[in-house]
Parts: sequence; structure tokens; C-alpha cells
Amino acid sequence: MRKCNLLLLSLFLWGSATFAGGYQVGLHSMRNTGMGLIGTSLYSDASALFYNPGGASFLNETWNFSGGLSFLMTRTTFQAKDVMYQTHIKDMVNTPFYFYAAGKPLKDFCVGLSVNTPYGNGLQWDDNWEGRFLIQKIAFKAITIQPTVSYKIKDIIGIGVGFVVAYGDVNLTKAIPLNGTTSEGSMHISGTAINYGFNAGIQVHPVKGLSLGVDYRSKIDMKVKKGKATFNVPSSLSTEFPENKVDVTLPLVSNLDFGASYETGKWMFGLNLCYVMWSEYDSLSFSFEKETSYVQRTVTPSLYISKLIPRIGVQYKVNDIITARIGGYYDASPVRDNYLDPQTPSDDEIGITCGVSIYPLKGLSIDAAFLYLMGIERDGSYSPDNFSGTYKNTLYSPGIGLTYQF
Amino acid sequence: MKKIIFILISLVLLVSCERKIDEFKPDANGVDFSNFVAVGNSLTSGYANGALYKSGQENSIPNIMAQQFKLVGGGEFRQPLLETEDGVGVSITSNGFYYTTKLSLQLIPDMDCDGKPYGTYSLKPSLYNPNVDQNTLKTNLLAKPAMDGPYNNMAVPGATAQTLFMSGYGLWNPFFKRFATNLSTSIMADAVVQKPTFFYLWIGNNDVLASALEGTDRLITPVDTFAKYFTRAVKSLAESGKSPKGVVATIPDVASAAYFSTISSKLPYNSVNLTAAEASGLNTLYSMYGHPEIVWKEGKNPFVIANSETEWVQMGPEDLFLLNFPTDSVKCKGMGVADQSGAIPKPYPIPGEYVLDKNEQTNIQNAIKQYNEIILANAVQYNLAVADMNAYMKTLQPGIIFDGIKMSLQFVQGGVFSTDGLHLTPRGNAMVANRFIQAINSKYGCNIPQVDVTQYKGIVFP
Repeated sequence: MRKCNLLLLSLFLWGSATFAGGYQVGLHSMRNTGMGLIGTSLYSDASALFYNPGGASFLNETWNFSGGLSFLMTRTTFQAKDVMYQTHIKDMVNTPFYFYAAGKPLKDFCVGLSVNTPYGNGLQWDDNWEGRFLIQKIAFKAITIQPTVSYKIKDIIGIGVGFVVAYGDVNLTKAIPLNGTTSEGSMHISGTAINYGFNAGIQVHPVKGLSLGVDYRSKIDMKVKKGKATFNVPSSLSTEFPENKVDVTLPLVSNLDFGASYETGKWMFGLNLCYVMWSEYDSLSFSFEKETSYVQRTVTPSLYISKLIPRIGVQYKVNDIITARIGGYYDASPVRDNYLDPQTPSDDEIGITCGVSIYPLKGLSIDAAFLYLMGIERDGSYSPDNFSGTYKNTLYSPGIGLTYQF
Repeated sequence: MKKIIFILISLVLLVSCERKIDEFKPDANGVDFSNFVAVGNSLTSGYANGALYKSGQENSIPNIMAQQFKLVGGGEFRQPLLETEDGVGVSITSNGFYYTTKLSLQLIPDMDCDGKPYGTYSLKPSLYNPNVDQNTLKTNLLAKPAMDGPYNNMAVPGATAQTLFMSGYGLWNPFFKRFATNLSTSIMADAVVQKPTFFYLWIGNNDVLASALEGTDRLITPVDTFAKYFTRAVKSLAESGKSPKGVVATIPDVASAAYFSTISSKLPYNSVNLTAAEASGLNTLYSMYGHPEIVWKEGKNPFVIANSETEWVQMGPEDLFLLNFPTDSVKCKGMGVADQSGAIPKPYPIPGEYVLDKNEQTNIQNAIKQYNEIILANAVQYNLAVADMNAYMKTLQPGIIFDGIKMSLQFVQGGVFSTDGLHLTPRGNAMVANRFIQAINSKYGCNIPQVDVTQYKGIVFP
């Protein structure tokens, strides 16, 4: 049986390298999570503001509130190539969350606010591990706040758009291969960024029970300007490593999602195709304000490949109190075999989900979901650093939320 | 409802199973590593930073290999460890042996030609402990190793193919005397008597290096002499009783060592900048001293080298300064041009011992090429693995990156050569040990894990 020390519980970390291939997080509604993380054609709760602003205008109630929290636990194991060395990342719990509020002042018009955590990456390897000159610890998180309007035409077509404000925060530590008499060099980088984008979608209800949707979320570059860079090196080299400022840019990549769902009787079947434009992430560059013979601009290529994620979900309304859900998806890694970096040790993954909503009162539901993500063992190397090995990821994430509509 | 609970419980059970990656499975493939004996020179002994010392020996190439062999049936690897971390290095002078501690990288004040400090500092290799007297160093070196023999690491700094067989070699070489079984024995006699089940032989570097270190090609071991003794060494080990398998290594081009490439990369051969008047003055001076063949001209001129009293030449673009070249003498005393300190200027050629010229390099390279052919032929004859260190050092020349560590043959920054510019850092040794392991795996079908190179230090900065 596995041992899992949940000691490093940090409320302000989310995301995981293993999630959605790269550093995108898909847990934005417990109801949708239970159904394989679909959502583009759904409109049962205010999470539509994020999944498809076009769907928000189809909300049945005047006031819609949803909020929730996931407990994301990852195990990434690494086996070095040709070396008797196996290790895994430290056990930690990342907690992506969401909060949505939508109101309908008019029958066909909805305004709302979405606050959630669509991107993040948090992992920590042992300080002295073999890949420490690539990464020891990374904590990257982005919150998006999205005021949204949605309008529907003749109960058939809903269109919506949201203005997205993204706030990002990054912390990164890695070792530097310079030996002092007792210690080894290290670098720590931290910084914040804010930028804007949009989220636009259309949802169509052509016949009773059928819903089709398409949604586009734009790329947002998280530009850390004058982040803090500190170095710990042998004292004879300290003048080569001054306190420094650093510029780094990480793109929150764009997404184009297509969804279809059909509701009949107690059943609903849903399908999503999510195209994640990972190719927008081609490198990470670090530009330092003060350059020396040791500290210079570095570009670490990532060369991600855009991927299509197929998702499927089913919902069954057991009775007026209980609704059950199940789903699954296949998430192919956007990372090339020769650019597999222990910072985001991504592999092809099969996701299995289930969930339940319990309605103790009319309009109020307690939503719970569980996600199990099984990574497929993968050999690879990060060729710019000539670092090779085998990675295997496992992730599970129970989550709970509340929905109140009246 | 029960169904849902059932599904949830099954999912929890599913993730409760630890999902592991198969571990590396070491396999000897029938090769007996139980008694591993290494024969070689300073590169194999763990010599580094200009001296032999305990932690250097602990990071010797065969000791790193032996720790990996333990995973496939290898036994204890006994080394004649020194007790001191100060280390002992030996140079031969006209007055006999001269002992020093190891070198370490230190921040040294920069001085002008009058010996006044500029107030700036540079990182330079300097004696780790200059205050230890000759007797103490000698005693430290000749003290009986704490661990008794026989020693699996039979490598002796200074050994050549021929001296492996020299009876009483301990009388000539204190590095052997300190752990030889008796004063009349030879290295090979003490190695063979151990009846190795697996052996390592990397010898021949000194057959060319001793010469290169003197800036000459006159001391190169003739190829037929090398062939005779190398072949005899392989035969002795291979027929030592337990019909061992083994690994041999080729000799890298010594000129690629940081010892020969560092100064020339900073001080071009033609760094003498002259005006027309200065050039004409020097031409007159050199003619006066009987060297009209040296011609100075306006602009950039090569330094002058004295290969002997009479044979003076101007330096060529491919000639290399040795690491011990006193660059201050160039800056402050006019070495390579003219000594202007006295009342009358005098020509001041660079002594030939500080320069390995192109012809000497070519002769050394030719010798190495032929040595390596002999090494390869013996490996074929005795079915031995070959670690091609000559090819490997060539790949390191432009620099490589491994596990995020940039390494090259460059002095200090390269991280492969220790501060003496000739011997390797622990990290360099680990890289080389991995090459040996690869060669053994590929020859004998074993699956011996390599070492995690990141656990070995490169150059240590103060």
C-alpha cells in the first residue's frame, strides 16, 4: 500500500505537472469534473461562465452561485537512464479552486463573475537529486478573474464573452553546478505577473435535449518583469553572481473547445474535444538585468506540440436528491520525447472520473467528484541538458463544492 | 447509492497501489568481478590537484567502478590510501625528490611588475598548505597505509609500460615504495600474484607525457619498447591464473589536456607588438648576439624560443605554452623578446621547456596513434573490453553537457581537469569510469549501472 504524507498542505498551490499534459488544470466545477471534465455544452450551473460564456444565458435560475476546492495529489516517479537511481517528487497537496456568481436581470441576459485557477504547476524534487541542475522546486500558479456577459437569442443560441484578468506568481529553485568546499551553488527566482485576455463562446440548443457548444480562451502571456533572482555560490564567485532582476515569460496557452451533450429522461451523455494550443509554449527565457560571465540570458526550449483531448461523460439522475456522474478522457502529452523536462514531467494520461450531487434542499447541491489520472510510463530526455530517464505519473484528486441557485 | 459507494471505494483502492517503474537490474552476465585489480598510472591512482591524497584516491576511476561492480558480485576494493588530505606531490629535481602538498584554487591578489597589489584578486591554483616541511611530506607519503594489502588499486603515479616490470621500482618511485610488498618487487609482480578475476589496464600516458612535460619529444618511449611491455602486461594479467576478463584503455592525446592548451588560449604566440623603430632595434640586438635568423618587423611578432643554446626559433601558431609557463616574466621582464632590465638590453628567448612545439606534438601524436593500435590489437587477441579514452577526450574538447552540467577540457571552468591541468576532478573520474563501464557492458553483455555523475565534485571554489 502506498504511503502518502500530506504534510506539505499548501492552500495556495494548484496544478501539477502531470495535469493536462503540461501545466493546465481542468478542475473548475465538481459537476463537470465528475463527467470527464467536459463542460462546453453544459449549462446546469454558473461554471458555464468559464466553460462557455455562451451557455450562461441558458441558466434556469435568476441567481447562481458555485464554489469548490480540489485536493490534487500527485506521485511522479523517476528512474535515471543507465544508473541505479530511482526517486519521486515530494508528496504534496495542491488545491485548485473555483468560484462563480451569475445573475440574470433579464430572461435572456446573464452577467457573471468567474474566479478560478486554470493554470499551475507545483512540484518539488529532493534537493540532492540527479536532475537538480534542471529543477529542484517549482511553484507556479495563475488565478483568472473573468467578468462575463451572455445573451441568448430565441432560446436557441447563446453567445457570451468574458474579459479575463490573469494574475500569476512563480517561484523556482535549482542547483548550479559550482562546488564550494562544503556546499553547491543554487539559484532562486520569484516574481509575479498580470495580463489580460478573453473567453468567448457560443452554445446552441437546436432540438430539445441537445446542446452544442464551442468556446475559445485566448493566450495570455504571463510576463514576469524584474522578478527577483538570488544566487548562493562559493564566496570567491560572489561578484559574478550579484543580486539580480530577471524577466521571464510563460504563456497561458489558448484553448478551443467543442462540446455536445444530449439529455433524455434521467440520462445525459456528453462529449468534448478540447484543442490545447501548446505549441504557443516554445521556450522559457530568463533575461537578467546584470549580466556577468556566469550569469547570462538563458533560453530553455520546450517546443510543445498542440494536442486534442477527447473527453466523455455520463450523468444519471437517480432521484430528486441524488445525481451520479462518470466520465473519462485521454490526454496525450504535448511534450516531445527529447524535450521531456523534470520541471513538467508530462506523459500520456488516461483520466477516469466520477461524481455525485446531493440536493438536501431545493436549489442547493453538494457536489463531489473524484479524478484518477493514470500516466503511461515514458522514456525521454531533456536534450538541451542531456538529462535522461523514465517517468511515471499518477494523480488523484477528490474535490468538493457547493451550488446554490434560486 | 450503493453502486456509487462501490465505485468510489474501488477507485480509492485502485489508486492505493503504488505505481512503480522497474528498477535497474544489474547483471554480470557470468563475468566474475569478485577480485578486481587495476593497473595504471597517476590517472588511475586517484592523483589530482598535483598530489595524491585520501579523498582523491577514494574518487579514483577504478574505485568508482568497483563500487558499481559490487552490484554484480564484486568484492572489496582495497586501496593504499594516504591518511592526509593535504596530499603529497613529488617532483624530481637535480637534488632529488621535492615534495609539495596538493594545489587548491585560491583568490590571489593581482600584482604589478614591482610586486605591488592592484587591489584586485584572481582565482589561481596555489599550494593548499605551503607550510608543511619536506620531512613531514615525505613521512606522510611513505607511511604504511592504514589498510593492509594486497591492494586492488595497483596504479602508481609516474608508471610507464616498461616500469610496470621494473624490479625494485620502489627505490625509484616513492609512490610505489609506500605500498610495494617489498623493495625488490615490481608493480606487475604485486598485481599478478593477486590472481585477479577481472583486471583494468590503462598505461602508456607517461610514455609520452613525461616528454611533453619537458616540452620536448626526446623522452618518448620508442614504439617497439611500448609494444613489448604493453603486450607483456596484458599477457601477464590475462594469464595470471583465474583466466580473467578485463578492460584496457587507449591513450588520449596529451596535448588536449588543459596543461597544454590553457595559456595559449589566452596568450597568442604572436603577442609581441612592435613599432618599426623597435623592430629595427631588436634586429640589431639579435644580430649582435649571433642570431640574425630571428627577424623582427613592425606590427605583431611571434615570441622567440631557445630550443638549445644555439637553436633559436620564432614561435609558430600551433606551438603550445605549458601551464607552468611564467607569464609574469613575459609581462614584466620581456621574456620572449629582450631583457631590458640591465644597462644594455639582451635577447631573452623563452626556454624551450615551456613550449611544446608543433613538431613535438606531431611526434607525440604519432607515438600515441601507434600505441593505441598496439592496445587495440592486444584487446582483440585477449578478448578484452576497450575504453576508447582517446576518442572520448576528443568529444570533451569542444565541451559537452550532461545532467545539466557543462563540461569541457578547459582549465578550471571545464570542471573535468583538476587544478594541475593534467589529472581529473572526481567528476571527470566519474565520467571516465562510466566510459569504462559502458565498454565492459558492451563487450561482455553485462548490465552494470553507471554512476550518478552529479554526486561527484568538479573544481572546488573557495
